[in-house]
Amino acid sequence: MDPMESSGEENIVEESHKLVDSLDKLRVSAGSSSSNFKKKPVIIIVVGMAGSGKTSFLHRLVCHTFDANKRGYVLNLDPAVMSLPFGANIDIRDTVKYKEVMKQYNLGPNGGIMTSLNLFATKFDEVVSVIEKRADQLDYVLVDTPGQIEIFTWSASGAIITEAFASTFPTVVTYVVDTPRSTSPITFMSNMLYACSILYKTRLPLVLAFNKTDVADHKFALEWMEDFEVFQAAIQSDNSYTSTLANSLSLSLYEFYRNIRSIGVSAITGAGMDDFFKAIEASADEYMQTYKADLDKRKAEKEQLEEERREKEMEKLRKDMESSQGGTVVLNTGLKDRDAAEKMMVEEEDDDDFKIEEDSDDAIDEDEEDEEMNRFYV
Amino acid sequence: MRYAQLVIGPAGSGKSTYCSSLHQHCETMRRTMHIVNLDPAAEVFNYPVAMDIRELVSVDVIMEELKCGPNAALIRCMEHLEDSLYNWLDEELENFTDDDYLVFDCPGQIEIFTHVPVLKNFVEHLKKNSFNVCAVYLLDSQFVTDVTKFISGCMVSLSAMIQLELPHVNILSKMDLLQDKSNIDEFLDPEPRTMLAGLNQRMAPQYAKLNKALIELVEQYSMVRFTPLDLRKERSIKYVLSEIDKCIQFGEDAEVKIKELDEDMGQLEL
Repeated sequence: MDPMESSGEENIVEESHKLVDSLDKLRVSAGSSSSNFKKKPVIIIVVGMAGSGKTSFLHRLVCHTFDANKRGYVLNLDPAVMSLPFGANIDIRDTVKYKEVMKQYNLGPNGGIMTSLNLFATKFDEVVSVIEKRADQLDYVLVDTPGQIEIFTWSASGAIITEAFASTFPTVVTYVVDTPRSTSPITFMSNMLYACSILYKTRLPLVLAFNKTDVADHKFALEWMEDFEVFQAAIQSDNSYTSTLANSLSLSLYEFYRNIRSIGVSAITGAGMDDFFKAIEASADEYMQTYKADLDKRKAEKEQLEEERREKEMEKLRKDMESSQGGTVVLNTGLKDRDAAEKMMVEEEDDDDFKIEEDSDDAIDEDEEDEEMNRFYV
Repeated sequence: MRYAQLVIGPAGSGKSTYCSSLHQHCETMRRTMHIVNLDPAAEVFNYPVAMDIRELVSVDVIMEELKCGPNAALIRCMEHLEDSLYNWLDEELENFTDDDYLVFDCPGQIEIFTHVPVLKNFVEHLKKNSFNVCAVYLLDSQFVTDVTKFISGCMVSLSAMIQLELPHVNILSKMDLLQDKSNIDEFLDPEPRTMLAGLNQRMAPQYAKLNKALIELVEQYSMVRFTPLDLRKERSIKYVLSEIDKCIQFGEDAEVKIKELDEDMGQLEL
């Protein structure tokens, strides 16, 4: 690849390249660690809407593991939380100072949290190795995520962190639901659709924790999940929302509910803890049966894609060198033959002018890749 | 008849950038478009703001008043907006006349759709004030790298849409940042059978029925189709705008007016 071209791109998307590199690094190491795959500890990643009670719920989990003589390890990924009611073994705030990040990068609060998480994600392989070293002494790793759910579920860093865990340990995602706020059927459906999106994004077992059952019992939710006709009736009686889409969605969601475990919990009273951990254990077993096998497949896929990409790049290089030099060039993928490698470098530099012209904005229209996009352009 | 676009999507999907590019594009096309900021926590704008929720309420003020964090403050701000629909909003809307086109830049947090009915009521209020409204949902194309992530994106879009009950256009943003565009093509025009095969391959076997149900949903409702947006290209912005105009039925009134003029001319000639 042309060194000048790549440095230009890096200036623009420097951070995301760093993240992609981290992801690559993690995936490569996933290959080696999946052979040392651990059955313990089980990683529990707690996600949920702002205000659903993630941190309180996590606090309750910490207390419960302690009381039940289960060995827990706590990881806090929320860089902006003021104070935690529990002690975290690993805390993002020790490594990344959120307010400093905001100042240094001149960002608002959301940007600050996102960037803090990005910075932490580049070092995440270290976190995984720390946990790996202690794996025999731990039963559960409890992970608290940032307040705003998208910062974790729809970001590159969130994906990296999830993948890093999932490729080394059995990982279960717990989606905390604000039960009192979900009593309207449309809001409930909206919430469940979001949970479904997390299932497809992470492809990990999902446990729904209906929190705040001390305020509102989650029985209505269980009823809606078990019998979609009851749910459809509830929708129709709510306003005049009659829509075939809502009905179709409720049918799809019915299939969703059958594949996840739902537990009513209360962080305040401690209700539901035993059932919750039973669900976690069952999900961890599910993980070992299905996702672990998939891991090896994913690793093979990744290697194949790498091979294809490498071949494409070499083909490109070959074409460019032929068209600019006119002579035959001996290509070397390794540096065994130093002279040939140096020759390649020199030829790349000669190509600079030619290449820059290709990449200028005016030439974008001629770019082959975009031909597919052309039908979307007027 | 007035027109409104509600620009929504996860934080960081490119909503504000889209609004400013759209504004620039319309300026060069000599088309009037007014951008409204509905994000009480926004700080910097790359576009001229015609109406700003921060004149009514802002996150900083609420955080101080109620001594709460940014998330709770945002919800509180939106609830405040809901209470002010008939005074503040109506007053502001009087500044815009017939045929005016407004673009509302909304906050990114999904909680404002799932936890409070404010945006739904906001939309109802606009409609009552003779606005044709459509939702423009932005998703970062860099995340749609395989079929499971595509379905995930559809679900997120639906979870917001289900509350709004609006016609909408889904946009895959930041296409200019996408290095390998060949994957994207299959999601822009989803071929259901291929997608289902892809889902079954990537998800655990117990999800087969769910995969099928979701693909049928995608097939039945074209509302989960995505349009790519590359902000470097005028043509791309133009195409997206034309899709939204269709959705909003913009320009249909204008055609009628031209016809009336012709009739008048015809009469004069006679």
